[in-house]
Amino acid sequence: MLSFAATVLLDGLSYGMILFLISVGLTITMGLMRVVNLAHGSFAMVGGYLAGWLTQHGVNFFLASLLAAVAAGALGALAETTIYRPLYRKGELAQVLLTIGLVFVTTASVTEIFGALPYAVKLPDYLTRAVNIGFRDYPAYPLFLIAVGGVVAAALWYVVEGSILGARLRAAVDNARMARAVGMNVDALFTGAFVAGCALAGLGGAIGAGVMALEPSYALKYLRLFLIVVIVGGEGSFKGSFVAALSLGVVDTLGKYFFSQASSYLLYAAVFALLLWRPRGLLPAKSAA
Amino acid sequence: MKRLLRAAALAATTLFPLASASAETVKVGLISDFTGAFAIWGQQFQQAIQAYQATHGTSVKGPDGQPIDIQFVYRDATSAGPEKSKQLAEELVLREKVKFLAGFDLSPQAMAVADIATQAKIPTVIMNAATASITRGSPYFVRVSMTIPQHTAALGRWAAGNGIKTAYTIVSDYAPGYDAETYFIKEFTKAGGTIVASERTPIQETNYSAYMEKVLRAKPDALYMFFPAGAPSIAFVKAYAERGLKAAGIKLLGTGETQQILLPQFSDDVLGTVTAFHYTETNVNPANLALKAQLTKMFGPDAGPDIASVAAWDGTDLIYQSVAALGAKAEGLKYIDFMKGKKLDSPRGPAIVDPEERDMIQNIYIRRVEKRDGKLVNIDIGQEDMVKDPWKLENPAKK
Repeated sequence: MLSFAATVLLDGLSYGMILFLISVGLTITMGLMRVVNLAHGSFAMVGGYLAGWLTQHGVNFFLASLLAAVAAGALGALAETTIYRPLYRKGELAQVLLTIGLVFVTTASVTEIFGALPYAVKLPDYLTRAVNIGFRDYPAYPLFLIAVGGVVAAALWYVVEGSILGARLRAAVDNARMARAVGMNVDALFTGAFVAGCALAGLGGAIGAGVMALEPSYALKYLRLFLIVVIVGGEGSFKGSFVAALSLGVVDTLGKYFFSQASSYLLYAAVFALLLWRPRGLLPAKSAA
Repeated sequence: MKRLLRAAALAATTLFPLASASAETVKVGLISDFTGAFAIWGQQFQQAIQAYQATHGTSVKGPDGQPIDIQFVYRDATSAGPEKSKQLAEELVLREKVKFLAGFDLSPQAMAVADIATQAKIPTVIMNAATASITRGSPYFVRVSMTIPQHTAALGRWAAGNGIKTAYTIVSDYAPGYDAETYFIKEFTKAGGTIVASERTPIQETNYSAYMEKVLRAKPDALYMFFPAGAPSIAFVKAYAERGLKAAGIKLLGTGETQQILLPQFSDDVLGTVTAFHYTETNVNPANLALKAQLTKMFGPDAGPDIASVAAWDGTDLIYQSVAALGAKAEGLKYIDFMKGKKLDSPRGPAIVDPEERDMIQNIYIRRVEKRDGKLVNIDIGQEDMVKDPWKLENPAKK
């Protein structure tokens, strides 16, 4: 029974880590910059497809994932300066329309280039094998996801909570006008954060392709999960989205074990109940509280 | 809508009485998805039709010896809902004056045009859309593909007869999944097998680790799956190997999951999977070799064939034959009557059009995924002769 519980926990955590990697960028755009960025999944998808193409052409998986993150970040920088910046002062409707349009553009482009069928990221052999973790044989891949997610979360936590850059970012979130008034370059901070978020999404799309399969509808299909992570975590809260993503992963996995028939509703019921209880999410950023 | 159709048809016949009399051309309106999630269907339909026309010509000799041109008009249903397909059918019937409708990859698309086919008396050749009841939707429907119960019932019987005593079933939570589950379980248990447990998973699910743990604990002889083509089945097979079910000797059974176009997406984990299907790409029927050669010549080595190509090839053949026999201006139902009971020279193997249900009666092949020349392929390991759709046997048409 204990081993069963541990298995459920590991399964849930690995799924949650991928959700976190991809969603944390959305926490930045939606929570910090107040842009309803429905196109966030597109950056993860682009990263995933790039990694898929590279690994299918013999490039090492880790290098491919890294390149995917860089490419998604670069695309993010381009999109931020050309498409997103003019949107910041527009209303939410304009943001929703334009970003959902971006989703369609990327979906169509991906279909055109890679075809309508699912696309595989080739994992190295040792990640597809099972390893002994004491009480049972367990596939290496979810363990790898947990490790990467953990490292990224720790690094993010340090940057946001422990560095001067993080202090500035938090200040800009809490009160952008005041931050500007004391001479911070809020725009540059946000651009940097946006790019970092896109890069993480690209990384998540690449290494998470074994859990969240790559197909042209990816950006739309998983969008609701990314949005749930941000809303449940509390807009603009890194810690919140970490806790939310992991809980989401575990709740979803538990649902599949015990109530497989109702598992697709269970998740939403849990989110619904939680938001009734805490409409601002689990750990909202101060400005939103 | 009925009135509008009738009015438009009336206007068309009174205003242009000569238009249809002068040119001996039969137009076939092909509706399928050419863009969006299901774009692969439209592409394969079109390629097979073009291959057929390249080998058989674009015209047939009518009953009076005069050539009749057969012209296909393609319309993209854009992977959208049934309304789109209905709207396209109206446009094809009213404006393009098509004599036949054809195509339809998804069941709702075919169901949506039943009224149009009946009212406008347009023979409609359905090339996929596998929900069992569809051909009952209109007397003008003929289907050249398959039904899901046809496959799964045969698989259930085969499993029980081949050393599999217990099975666990996991299907996608949608109507075709229920059909698959019902008929597999019915035939498997009838032949002495026991079902350990049955699960239904959300339709777009791609994370199956939890389900695999449950199966592993139940230790059945076999795991039966039914998933829509693409991402879900690939993720399922991956989880099946990753979680040690394959190593534990639990056999994986399915139907269309390993069809030819999808196999390259799988890893070697899929090796050994046994499926029941009406077409195996490695069969050596002369018609199959001819289709394969023509597709390769025109569209390159990756062009198939697969079930979409085979159905489009056979459907086009039926249309050619009926026009050759009846000419360009016969009543819609006459064409249908001609097609009933027709024996097909199909790339899939022996098949006839069921004269009662206008559906395929055909061999169902039991295949195993193997590796040949470094490529994953399906290899026949058994077959059941001339299977009629079991759903229709159990649900006779009301007289």
